[in-house]
Amino acid sequence: MVEALEAKKLKEHAKLKEYLALTDEVIVKKNGRDWSRDAFDLTTRVLHVNPEFYTVWNYRRHILVHGIFPTRSVLCTPPEINEILTTDLSLTTAHLKQHPKVYWIWNHRRWCLENVPVGPTEDDPDGWRRANWNKELFVVERMLDADARNFHAWNYRRYVLASTPVQRAEQAELTYTTRKIEANFSNFSAWHQRSKVLTSLWDSGKLDIKKSKEDEYELVKNAMYTDPGDQSVWIYHRWLVEPGNDYEILRREITSIQELLDEQPDSKWCMESLVFYHRLQLRNHSSRLTDTDKQGIVQRCLQLLNDLQAVDSPRRQRYIDLSTEVQKLA
Amino acid sequence: MNHKEALDREEVIDFVMSCWDEDAGAFGAHPDHDAHIHSTLSAIQILIMQDALDRLDVPRVVDFILSLQQESGVFSGDSFGEIDTRFLYCAVNALSLLGQLDKLDVEKTVGYIRKCRNFDGGFGACIGAESHAAMVWVCTAALAILDRLDEIDHETLGWWLAERQLPSGGLNGRPEKLEDVCYSHWVLSSLSILNKLTWIDAEKVTAFILSAQDLEHGGIADRPGDQPDVFHTQFGVAGLSLLGYPGLNDLDPVYCMPASLIERMGLKKGWQALPRRTN
Repeated sequence: MVEALEAKKLKEHAKLKEYLALTDEVIVKKNGRDWSRDAFDLTTRVLHVNPEFYTVWNYRRHILVHGIFPTRSVLCTPPEINEILTTDLSLTTAHLKQHPKVYWIWNHRRWCLENVPVGPTEDDPDGWRRANWNKELFVVERMLDADARNFHAWNYRRYVLASTPVQRAEQAELTYTTRKIEANFSNFSAWHQRSKVLTSLWDSGKLDIKKSKEDEYELVKNAMYTDPGDQSVWIYHRWLVEPGNDYEILRREITSIQELLDEQPDSKWCMESLVFYHRLQLRNHSSRLTDTDKQGIVQRCLQLLNDLQAVDSPRRQRYIDLSTEVQKLA
Repeated sequence: MNHKEALDREEVIDFVMSCWDEDAGAFGAHPDHDAHIHSTLSAIQILIMQDALDRLDVPRVVDFILSLQQESGVFSGDSFGEIDTRFLYCAVNALSLLGQLDKLDVEKTVGYIRKCRNFDGGFGACIGAESHAAMVWVCTAALAILDRLDEIDHETLGWWLAERQLPSGGLNGRPEKLEDVCYSHWVLSSLSILNKLTWIDAEKVTAFILSAQDLEHGGIADRPGDQPDVFHTQFGVAGLSLLGYPGLNDLDPVYCMPASLIERMGLKKGWQALPRRTN
C-alpha cells in the first residue's frame, strides 16, 4: 500500500518535471520569437497537457500569423492555410471533450474560424468557410448533448449562428430549443435562447406574435403541470406575460395558476407568481378595477405573501418587503 | 482575515513586478506570460493593498486598458480580442483605482452593459448570453463604480439573486444548477450592492460555506468533501465577511478589496453588508 502510493508519487513527480521542462522550452522559444514549425509542434504538446496556458495559445497564433502563413519565404497557399486551420479546429475539438469549460479553447476556435481564407475557387469563395462553419455547429451540438447547460457552448453557438456565411432560418433555432426543452424542462439555457429567438422572429414579423405567444403559453402550462417546483419555467412564464398590458391574458393566467395552486397548495412558485401578476393587475389596469376589487386583490397578495414566509422561509425578508410594497398599491 | 503579514511584502511586490510584460505595458498571470486585463487588475489591486503603487507605470497601464475597449463599448482581455463583461469590469475597476475614470467613455461602456441585461434582471458575458451570477456581479459592480445603478431593475434582479439559494443553504449561479462556494462571493456581493442581503438566509449560507472547509489541512472547497483551493477559499471568506461572520475584516463587494482601504481612497459606494457579529 505504502509502496504503491510512493510509486504513484514518483510517477506524478516525473510527469511534473517533464511538464516544467516543456514549459521552459516553449517560453525560451517564445522569447526568442521562434516562429518555426518546430515551435508550433511544441505548443501543440504543451497545450495538450495544459490547455489553460493562455500565453501558449497566443504564441501559437503568432507562429501561424508571422511564421507559417506568410507567403514571402516558404509559400503557404490558401488551401494549406485552410488545411492548417481545419486541423487546429479538430485538435481543439479533442481538447474540448476533456475540458469543456476552458475559455481559451473556445476562444482559439473562434480565431481559427475567422481566419479561414476565401476559397476554394473564385466561383465558390465561401466553400471553405461554409464547410468549417457547418462543422462548428455540429461540434457545438455534441457539446450541448454532453452538457445542455454549458454556457460556453451556448455563447459559442450564438456566435456561430450570427457569423455563419450562409444564414440559417431562425425557425430552425426555435425547433432546436423545443427539442432541448422537451428533453428537460429544467434547461433554463434553452428557455433563455428561446426568448431571444422568439423576440427576433416577432420583431421581424416572421412569426405572428399573438398566435406564437399562445403556443408558448401552452408549452409552459405543460411544463408547469409536469413540475411546479421548476423555476426555469416560471421565469420564462414571467417573460411571456410581461409587461402585462393584455388584461384578458393576465386574468386568464392568474386563473390558471390559481387552479394549479388549488391542486398543489404548497407550491411556492404558484404563490410567488400570483403575487407578481396581481401586482401587474393593480399597477397596469387599475382603471378597470373597482375599489372593492383592488382591496380584495391587495388582501389576497398579503395573504399569499404571509403563506410564502412559511413555505419559503429562507427568503422571508423579501416577502415582508414585498408586503410593504403591495400595501402602497391599495 | 487580519493576517496580511503572512505573506512577505517585498516578495509579493517583487513577484507582481516580475509579471510585467514590457512589450504590452501591462501584467501577465506569471513571469513570461502575456499581458492580460485580468492579471493587470490583480496586480494593481495587490500593489495598492501593499501600498506600493509607486512601482507602477500608470500611464502605460492606462493606455493598455483603454486600447482594449471595442467599438461596442465592451473590453477585450488582450490583443487577441476575446470579449466579455468580466473584462469590462476589470477595466472599470482598474481605472477607478488609479483615479483615471475620466479617461473612460462612460456612456459607451454603460451602453454595452445595458445590452447584456436580460428579462430576468440579470446579465450575461456578452450580448445575448444567459444571466450568470458571476457576470451579474461584474456588471452590477461596474455600474456601482460608474454611479449608474439606475440601469438595474433592482426588484427583479434581487428576486433572481435570492432564488440562487438552494435548500442546502448553498448558492448556485443559474436557475436549476448545483450550489458552489464560489457563488457565495458573486451572489452575496451583488445582493450587498443592491442592499438586499437580507433576502436570503444568511445563517444557512454561512453553514454551507463552513461545511466546505477542510478541517485538517485548511482551506475551502467548492462543496463539502471536495479538495480545497485558493479560489474557493477566497470566495468563501469573502462571502462570510459580507454575512457578518465574527473576526473577519470588512470586504468591499464592489472592488473585492478591504473596505477600509477603499473608504480611505474615497471610493466607497452605498452598499451594505450584514452587521459584524461578535460570536
